Amino acid sequence: MIFRAVEDADLIRKARGGNVDAFNALISRWDKRVYNYLLRILGNREDALDLSQDVFLKAYQSLRKLEDPSRFAPWLFRIAHNEAYSLFRKRRPEADVDEIPDSVTGAGIAVAGHSVFPIELSLAVTSALGRLSPDQREAVVLKIYQGFKFEEMADVLDCPVSTVKSRLYTALDLLKAELAPVKTRGL
Amino acid sequence: MSCSPFDLREYVLNELADSECRQVETHMKSCAACSDELERLRTTQAALLSLADEEIPQRIGFVSDRVFEPSTPRRWWAAFWGSSARLGFASAAMLSIAIVVSALTRPAPAPPAPIAAHQPDMARIEAQFERRLGEAVARAVAQAEARQEARTRHLLAATEARHNLEMKGIQLAVEQNLTVLERRYTRLRMDLASADFGGTR
Repeated sequence: MIFRAVEDADLIRKARGGNVDAFNALISRWDKRVYNYLLRILGNREDALDLSQDVFLKAYQSLRKLEDPSRFAPWLFRIAHNEAYSLFRKRRPEADVDEIPDSVTGAGIAVAGHSVFPIELSLAVTSALGRLSPDQREAVVLKIYQGFKFEEMADVLDCPVSTVKSRLYTALDLLKAELAPVKTRGL
Repeated sequence: MSCSPFDLREYVLNELADSECRQVETHMKSCAACSDELERLRTTQAALLSLADEEIPQRIGFVSDRVFEPSTPRRWWAAFWGSSARLGFASAAMLSIAIVVSALTRPAPAPPAPIAAHQPDMARIEAQFERRLGEAVARAVAQAEARQEARTRHLLAATEARHNLEMKGIQLAVEQNLTVLERRYTRLRMDLASADFGGTR
Protein backbone atom coordinates (compact mmCIF):
# COMPACT_ATOMS: atom_id res chain seq x y z
CA MET A 1 0.00 0.00 0.00
CA ILE A 2 2.86 2.39 0.85
CA PHE A 3 4.71 1.53 -2.37
CA ARG A 4 1.51 2.07 -4.28
CA ALA A 5 1.05 5.52 -2.71
CA VAL A 6 4.64 6.39 -3.63
CA GLU A 7 4.11 5.28 -7.22
CA ASP A 8 0.82 7.18 -7.43
CA ALA A 9 2.52 10.34 -6.22
CA ASP A 10 5.19 9.86 -8.89
CA LEU A 11 2.57 9.36 -11.61
CA ILE A 12 0.67 12.44 -10.42
CA ARG A 13 3.80 14.58 -10.63
CA LYS A 14 4.42 13.34 -14.18
CA ALA A 15 0.78 13.86 -15.18
CA ARG A 16 0.91 17.41 -13.84
CA GLY A 17 3.92 17.98 -16.06
CA GLY A 18 1.81 17.06 -19.09
CA ASN A 19 2.64 13.36 -19.31
CA VAL A 20 -0.57 11.84 -20.68
CA ASP A 21 0.59 8.23 -20.26
CA ALA A 22 1.13 8.83 -16.53
CA PHE A 23 -2.52 9.83 -16.08
CA ASN A 24 -3.64 6.88 -18.22
CA ALA A 25 -1.67 4.63 -15.87
CA LEU A 26 -3.51 6.20 -12.91
CA ILE A 27 -6.84 5.45 -14.64
CA SER A 28 -5.85 1.81 -15.20
CA ARG A 29 -4.82 1.54 -11.60
CA TRP A 30 -7.94 3.01 -9.99
CA ASP A 31 -10.82 2.49 -12.45
CA LYS A 32 -12.02 -0.85 -11.05
CA ARG A 33 -12.09 0.42 -7.47
CA VAL A 34 -13.92 3.63 -8.39
CA TYR A 35 -16.42 1.70 -10.53
CA ASN A 36 -17.17 -0.81 -7.76
CA TYR A 37 -17.50 1.96 -5.16
CA LEU A 38 -20.04 3.76 -7.37
CA LEU A 39 -21.80 0.52 -8.24
CA ARG A 40 -22.29 -0.35 -4.58
CA ILE A 41 -23.70 3.04 -3.61
CA LEU A 42 -25.75 3.61 -6.79
CA GLY A 43 -26.87 0.02 -7.44
CA ASN A 44 -26.84 0.56 -11.21
CA ARG A 45 -24.07 -0.57 -13.58
CA GLU A 46 -24.79 1.96 -16.30
CA ASP A 47 -24.76 4.91 -13.89
CA ALA A 48 -21.62 3.57 -12.21
CA LEU A 49 -19.82 3.32 -15.56
CA ASP A 50 -20.89 6.79 -16.73
CA LEU A 51 -19.94 8.41 -13.45
CA SER A 52 -16.59 6.57 -13.35
CA GLN A 53 -15.72 8.23 -16.64
CA ASP A 54 -16.82 11.63 -15.30
CA VAL A 55 -14.77 11.13 -12.14
CA PHE A 56 -11.54 10.58 -14.09
CA LEU A 57 -12.30 13.47 -16.42
CA LYS A 58 -12.81 15.81 -13.46
CA ALA A 59 -9.73 14.44 -11.73
CA TYR A 60 -7.67 15.16 -14.85
CA GLN A 61 -9.03 18.69 -15.14
CA SER A 62 -8.37 19.53 -11.49
CA LEU A 63 -5.22 17.52 -10.85
CA ARG A 64 -3.30 20.72 -10.11
CA LYS A 65 -5.67 21.45 -7.20
CA LEU A 66 -4.58 18.27 -5.39
CA GLU A 67 -2.35 19.70 -2.67
CA ASP A 68 -0.83 16.48 -1.36
CA PRO A 69 -0.24 13.77 -4.03
CA SER A 70 0.03 11.13 -1.29
CA ARG A 71 -3.69 11.76 -0.53
CA PHE A 72 -4.74 10.94 -4.10
CA ALA A 73 -7.10 8.09 -3.16
CA PRO A 74 -9.33 10.04 -0.71
CA TRP A 75 -9.29 13.00 -3.13
CA LEU A 76 -10.37 10.79 -6.06
CA PHE A 77 -13.13 9.13 -4.03
CA ARG A 78 -14.27 12.57 -2.81
CA ILE A 79 -14.87 13.45 -6.48
CA ALA A 80 -16.71 10.14 -6.96
CA HIS A 81 -18.82 10.79 -3.85
CA ASN A 82 -19.78 14.28 -5.12
CA GLU A 83 -20.67 12.89 -8.55
CA ALA A 84 -22.87 10.20 -7.02
CA TYR A 85 -24.69 12.64 -4.76
CA SER A 86 -25.26 15.15 -7.54
CA LEU A 87 -26.80 12.31 -9.54
CA PHE A 88 -29.04 11.49 -6.55
CA ARG A 89 -30.14 15.11 -6.38
CA LYS A 90 -30.70 15.33 -10.13
CA ARG A 91 -32.91 12.24 -10.08
CA ARG A 92 -34.85 13.27 -6.97
CA PRO A 93 -34.34 17.03 -6.52
CA GLU A 94 -37.16 17.35 -4.00
CA ALA A 95 -35.99 14.49 -1.75
CA ASP A 96 -33.48 14.57 1.05
CA VAL A 97 -30.53 12.37 0.11
CA ASP A 98 -31.07 10.28 3.24
CA GLU A 99 -34.56 9.35 2.04
CA ILE A 100 -33.55 8.10 -1.37
CA PRO A 101 -34.99 4.64 -1.91
CA ASP A 102 -32.65 1.77 -2.59
CA SER A 103 -32.45 0.00 -5.87
CA VAL A 104 -30.46 -2.82 -4.37
CA THR A 105 -32.97 -4.39 -2.00
CA GLY A 106 -33.76 -8.07 -2.33
CA ALA A 107 -35.55 -10.86 -0.54
CA GLY A 108 -34.14 -11.60 2.93
CA ILE A 109 -32.53 -14.99 3.45
CA ALA A 110 -31.69 -16.41 6.86
CA VAL A 111 -27.96 -17.03 7.05
CA ALA A 112 -26.67 -17.68 10.54
CA GLY A 113 -26.92 -21.21 11.80
CA HIS A 114 -27.30 -22.59 8.27
CA SER A 115 -24.75 -23.48 5.66
CA VAL A 116 -25.51 -21.38 2.60
CA PHE A 117 -24.36 -21.54 -1.00
CA PRO A 118 -22.28 -18.63 -2.27
CA ILE A 119 -25.16 -17.28 -4.33
CA GLU A 120 -27.43 -17.33 -1.29
CA LEU A 121 -24.80 -15.56 0.76
CA SER A 122 -24.39 -12.90 -1.93
CA LEU A 123 -28.13 -12.35 -2.00
CA ALA A 124 -28.27 -12.13 1.78
CA VAL A 125 -25.43 -9.59 1.86
CA THR A 126 -26.96 -7.55 -0.97
CA SER A 127 -30.28 -7.57 0.82
CA ALA A 128 -28.73 -6.57 4.16
CA LEU A 129 -26.75 -3.73 2.52
CA GLY A 130 -29.92 -2.59 0.78
CA ARG A 131 -31.65 -2.09 4.13
CA LEU A 132 -29.03 0.41 5.30
CA SER A 133 -29.42 4.15 4.73
CA PRO A 134 -27.29 5.54 1.86
CA ASP A 135 -24.88 7.16 4.37
CA GLN A 136 -24.46 3.94 6.34
CA ARG A 137 -23.98 1.87 3.18
CA GLU A 138 -21.37 4.27 1.85
CA ALA A 139 -19.46 4.07 5.15
CA VAL A 140 -19.45 0.25 4.89
CA VAL A 141 -18.33 0.37 1.25
CA LEU A 142 -15.47 2.76 2.00
CA LYS A 143 -14.25 0.79 5.02
CA ILE A 144 -14.90 -2.88 4.21
CA TYR A 145 -14.54 -2.90 0.42
CA GLN A 146 -12.14 -0.01 -0.17
CA GLY A 147 -10.08 -0.35 3.01
CA PHE A 148 -9.88 3.35 3.87
CA LYS A 149 -8.81 4.53 7.33
CA PHE A 150 -11.27 6.60 9.39
CA GLU A 151 -9.39 9.85 8.64
CA GLU A 152 -9.45 9.14 4.91
CA MET A 153 -13.17 8.34 5.07
CA ALA A 154 -13.72 11.68 6.82
CA ASP A 155 -11.93 13.38 3.89
CA VAL A 156 -14.04 11.55 1.32
CA LEU A 157 -17.33 12.24 3.11
CA ASP A 158 -16.33 15.72 4.29
CA CYS A 159 -17.49 15.10 7.86
CA PRO A 160 -15.83 14.53 11.27
CA VAL A 161 -14.28 11.15 12.15
CA SER A 162 -16.87 10.79 14.93
CA THR A 163 -19.67 10.93 12.33
CA VAL A 164 -17.87 8.36 10.20
CA LYS A 165 -17.58 6.01 13.17
CA SER A 166 -21.19 6.53 14.18
CA ARG A 167 -22.48 5.68 10.69
CA LEU A 168 -20.19 2.69 10.33
CA TYR A 169 -20.88 1.21 13.75
CA THR A 170 -24.64 1.57 13.39
CA ALA A 171 -24.39 -0.11 9.98
CA LEU A 172 -22.21 -2.92 11.36
CA ASP A 173 -24.67 -3.57 14.19
CA LEU A 174 -27.54 -3.81 11.71
CA LEU A 175 -25.57 -6.07 9.38
CA LYS A 176 -24.42 -8.26 12.26
CA ALA A 177 -28.01 -8.73 13.45
CA GLU A 178 -28.95 -9.90 9.97
CA LEU A 179 -25.88 -11.86 8.85
CA ALA A 180 -24.68 -13.22 12.20
CA PRO A 181 -27.58 -13.24 14.69
CA VAL A 182 -27.09 -14.47 18.23
CA LYS A 183 -27.26 -18.26 18.36
CA THR A 184 -30.18 -19.60 20.40
CA ARG A 185 -29.00 -22.08 23.00
CA GLY A 186 -30.48 -25.57 22.87
CA LEU A 187 -31.80 -25.36 19.30
CA MET B 1 -22.51 -4.96 25.80
CA SER B 2 -18.83 -5.84 25.42
CA CYS B 3 -16.44 -5.54 28.38
CA SER B 4 -13.35 -5.54 26.14
CA PRO B 5 -10.73 -2.86 26.94
CA PHE B 6 -11.15 -1.50 23.38
CA ASP B 7 -14.01 -1.44 20.88
CA LEU B 8 -14.15 -4.85 19.20
CA ARG B 9 -15.37 -3.23 15.96
CA GLU B 10 -12.18 -1.17 15.81
CA TYR B 11 -10.20 -4.34 16.45
CA VAL B 12 -11.89 -6.17 13.57
CA LEU B 13 -11.51 -3.15 11.28
CA ASN B 14 -7.72 -2.90 11.94
CA GLU B 15 -8.00 0.54 13.52
CA LEU B 16 -6.23 -0.33 16.79
CA ALA B 17 -2.52 -0.03 17.52
CA ASP B 18 -0.50 -3.24 18.05
CA SER B 19 -0.37 -2.83 21.83
CA GLU B 20 -4.15 -2.30 21.93
CA CYS B 21 -4.69 -5.40 19.80
CA ARG B 22 -2.61 -7.46 22.22
CA GLN B 23 -4.76 -6.26 25.16
CA VAL B 24 -7.92 -7.26 23.32
CA GLU B 25 -6.45 -10.69 22.51
CA THR B 26 -5.50 -11.26 26.14
CA HIS B 27 -8.99 -10.30 27.22
CA MET B 28 -10.52 -12.73 24.71
CA LYS B 29 -8.85 -15.68 26.42
CA SER B 30 -10.82 -15.10 29.59
CA CYS B 31 -14.14 -13.67 28.33
CA ALA B 32 -16.61 -15.94 26.51
CA ALA B 33 -19.12 -13.15 25.84
CA CYS B 34 -16.54 -10.98 24.06
CA SER B 35 -15.25 -14.02 22.13
CA ASP B 36 -18.78 -14.68 20.88
CA GLU B 37 -19.19 -11.02 19.94
CA LEU B 38 -15.87 -11.05 18.09
CA GLU B 39 -16.87 -14.19 16.22
CA ARG B 40 -20.12 -12.55 15.11
CA LEU B 41 -18.26 -9.48 13.91
CA ARG B 42 -15.82 -11.62 11.95
CA THR B 43 -18.68 -13.63 10.43
CA THR B 44 -20.34 -10.38 9.36
CA GLN B 45 -17.11 -9.08 7.84
CA ALA B 46 -16.48 -12.37 6.02
CA ALA B 47 -20.05 -12.37 4.67
CA LEU B 48 -19.64 -8.82 3.37
CA LEU B 49 -16.32 -9.67 1.73
CA SER B 50 -17.95 -12.62 -0.06
CA LEU B 51 -19.49 -10.02 -2.37
CA ALA B 52 -16.67 -9.83 -4.92
CA ASP B 53 -15.73 -6.78 -6.98
CA GLU B 54 -17.09 -6.71 -10.52
CA GLU B 55 -15.00 -6.19 -13.63
CA ILE B 56 -15.72 -2.96 -15.49
CA PRO B 57 -18.00 -3.77 -18.44
CA GLN B 58 -16.21 -1.24 -20.62
CA ARG B 59 -12.78 0.40 -20.53
CA ILE B 60 -12.69 3.87 -19.00
CA GLY B 61 -11.62 6.39 -21.66
CA PHE B 62 -7.98 7.45 -21.60
CA VAL B 63 -6.75 11.03 -21.90
CA SER B 64 -6.07 10.46 -25.59
CA ASP B 65 -9.71 9.42 -26.15
CA ARG B 66 -12.42 11.71 -27.45
CA VAL B 67 -14.18 11.86 -24.07
CA PHE B 68 -11.28 13.90 -22.66
CA GLU B 69 -11.46 16.50 -25.42
CA PRO B 70 -12.56 19.98 -24.32
CA SER B 71 -15.92 21.49 -25.33
CA THR B 72 -16.32 23.04 -28.83
CA PRO B 73 -15.84 26.73 -27.78
CA ARG B 74 -12.79 25.82 -25.69
CA ARG B 75 -11.38 23.72 -28.54
CA TRP B 76 -11.90 26.59 -31.03
CA TRP B 77 -10.26 29.08 -28.67
CA ALA B 78 -7.29 26.76 -28.07
CA ALA B 79 -6.98 26.05 -31.80
CA PHE B 80 -7.04 29.77 -32.58
CA TRP B 81 -4.19 30.57 -30.20
CA GLY B 82 -2.34 27.42 -31.24
CA SER B 83 -2.48 28.18 -34.97
CA SER B 84 0.30 30.44 -36.25
CA ALA B 85 -1.40 30.89 -39.64
CA ARG B 86 -4.65 32.09 -38.07
CA LEU B 87 -2.78 34.39 -35.72
CA GLY B 88 -0.78 35.80 -38.64
CA PHE B 89 -3.96 36.35 -40.62
CA ALA B 90 -5.65 38.03 -37.66
CA SER B 91 -2.62 40.31 -37.13
CA ALA B 92 -2.61 41.31 -40.81
CA ALA B 93 -6.36 41.97 -40.67
CA MET B 94 -6.00 44.14 -37.57
CA LEU B 95 -3.16 46.08 -39.19
CA SER B 96 -5.30 46.69 -42.28
CA ILE B 97 -8.23 47.84 -40.14
CA ALA B 98 -5.93 50.18 -38.22
CA ILE B 99 -4.67 51.71 -41.48
CA VAL B 100 -8.23 52.19 -42.79
CA VAL B 101 -9.42 53.72 -39.50
CA SER B 102 -6.39 55.95 -39.38
CA ALA B 103 -7.03 57.10 -42.95
CA LEU B 104 -10.70 57.85 -42.28
CA THR B 105 -10.14 59.73 -39.05
CA ARG B 106 -7.12 61.68 -40.31
CA PRO B 107 -7.65 65.44 -39.94
CA ALA B 108 -8.51 67.42 -43.06
CA PRO B 109 -5.51 67.98 -45.28
CA ALA B 110 -3.75 71.25 -44.92
CA PRO B 111 -4.20 73.79 -47.69
CA PRO B 112 -2.08 72.96 -50.71
CA ALA B 113 1.47 74.04 -50.32
CA PRO B 114 2.59 76.78 -52.53
CA ILE B 115 5.44 74.70 -53.82
CA ALA B 116 4.11 72.12 -56.31
CA ALA B 117 7.29 70.14 -56.12
CA HIS B 118 6.10 68.47 -52.81
CA GLN B 119 3.23 66.56 -54.48
CA PRO B 120 5.34 63.98 -56.36
CA ASP B 121 7.25 63.33 -53.09
CA MET B 122 4.01 62.38 -51.23
CA ALA B 123 2.97 59.98 -53.99
CA ARG B 124 6.36 58.34 -53.94
CA ILE B 125 6.30 57.96 -50.15
CA GLU B 126 2.83 56.36 -50.25
CA ALA B 127 3.91 53.93 -52.97
CA GLN B 128 7.03 53.04 -51.02
CA PHE B 129 4.94 52.52 -47.85
CA GLU B 130 2.51 50.22 -49.66
CA ARG B 131 5.33 48.22 -51.15
CA ARG B 132 7.00 47.76 -47.77
CA LEU B 133 3.68 46.86 -46.13
CA GLY B 134 3.05 44.24 -48.82
CA GLU B 135 6.51 42.79 -48.31
CA ALA B 136 6.08 42.67 -44.53
CA VAL B 137 2.68 40.93 -44.79
CA ALA B 138 4.04 38.42 -47.33
CA ARG B 139 7.03 37.71 -45.06
CA ALA B 140 4.76 37.24 -41.98
CA VAL B 141 2.43 34.90 -43.88
CA ALA B 142 5.38 32.84 -45.17
CA GLN B 143 6.79 32.51 -41.65
CA ALA B 144 3.38 31.55 -40.26
CA GLU B 145 2.90 28.92 -42.95
CA ALA B 146 6.32 27.45 -42.21
CA ARG B 147 5.50 27.25 -38.49
CA GLN B 148 2.13 25.67 -39.27
CA GLU B 149 3.74 23.07 -41.49
CA ALA B 150 6.22 22.12 -38.77
CA ARG B 151 3.39 21.89 -36.26
CA THR B 152 1.35 19.65 -38.60
CA ARG B 153 4.35 17.34 -39.05
CA HIS B 154 4.77 17.14 -35.27
CA LEU B 155 1.05 16.44 -34.72
CA LEU B 156 1.08 13.70 -37.35
CA ALA B 157 4.03 12.01 -35.68
CA ALA B 158 2.36 12.26 -32.24
CA THR B 159 -0.91 10.86 -33.59
CA GLU B 160 0.88 7.95 -35.16
CA ALA B 161 2.71 7.20 -31.92
CA ARG B 162 -0.54 7.36 -29.95
CA HIS B 163 -2.25 5.06 -32.43
CA ASN B 164 0.57 2.52 -32.09
CA LEU B 165 0.29 2.68 -28.31
CA GLU B 166 -3.47 2.07 -28.39
CA MET B 167 -3.04 -0.82 -30.82
CA LYS B 168 -0.52 -2.37 -28.45
CA GLY B 169 -3.02 -1.99 -25.58
CA ILE B 170 -5.78 -3.69 -27.60
CA GLN B 171 -3.42 -6.49 -28.60
CA LEU B 172 -2.44 -7.02 -24.96
CA ALA B 173 -6.10 -7.13 -23.87
CA VAL B 174 -6.91 -9.68 -26.59
CA GLU B 175 -3.95 -11.83 -25.55
CA GLN B 176 -5.03 -11.70 -21.92
CA ASN B 177 -8.59 -12.69 -22.84
CA LEU B 178 -7.27 -15.57 -24.93
CA THR B 179 -5.16 -16.78 -22.01
CA VAL B 180 -8.18 -16.68 -19.69
CA LEU B 181 -10.28 -18.56 -22.26
CA GLU B 182 -7.56 -21.16 -22.72
CA ARG B 183 -7.36 -21.68 -18.97
CA ARG B 184 -11.12 -22.05 -18.69
CA TYR B 185 -11.18 -24.46 -21.62
CA THR B 186 -8.42 -26.58 -20.08
CA ARG B 187 -10.18 -26.60 -16.72
CA LEU B 188 -13.46 -27.60 -18.39
CA ARG B 189 -11.74 -30.42 -20.25
CA MET B 190 -10.18 -31.66 -17.04
CA ASP B 191 -13.55 -31.51 -15.27
CA LEU B 192 -15.17 -33.42 -18.10
CA ALA B 193 -12.36 -36.00 -18.11
CA SER B 194 -12.64 -36.53 -14.37
CA ALA B 195 -16.46 -36.80 -14.68
CA ASP B 196 -16.05 -39.48 -17.38
CA PHE B 197 -13.53 -41.31 -15.27
CA GLY B 198 -15.92 -41.29 -12.27
CA GLY B 199 -18.79 -42.61 -14.41
CA THR B 200 -16.90 -45.54 -15.87
CA ARG B 201 -15.37 -46.64 -12.59
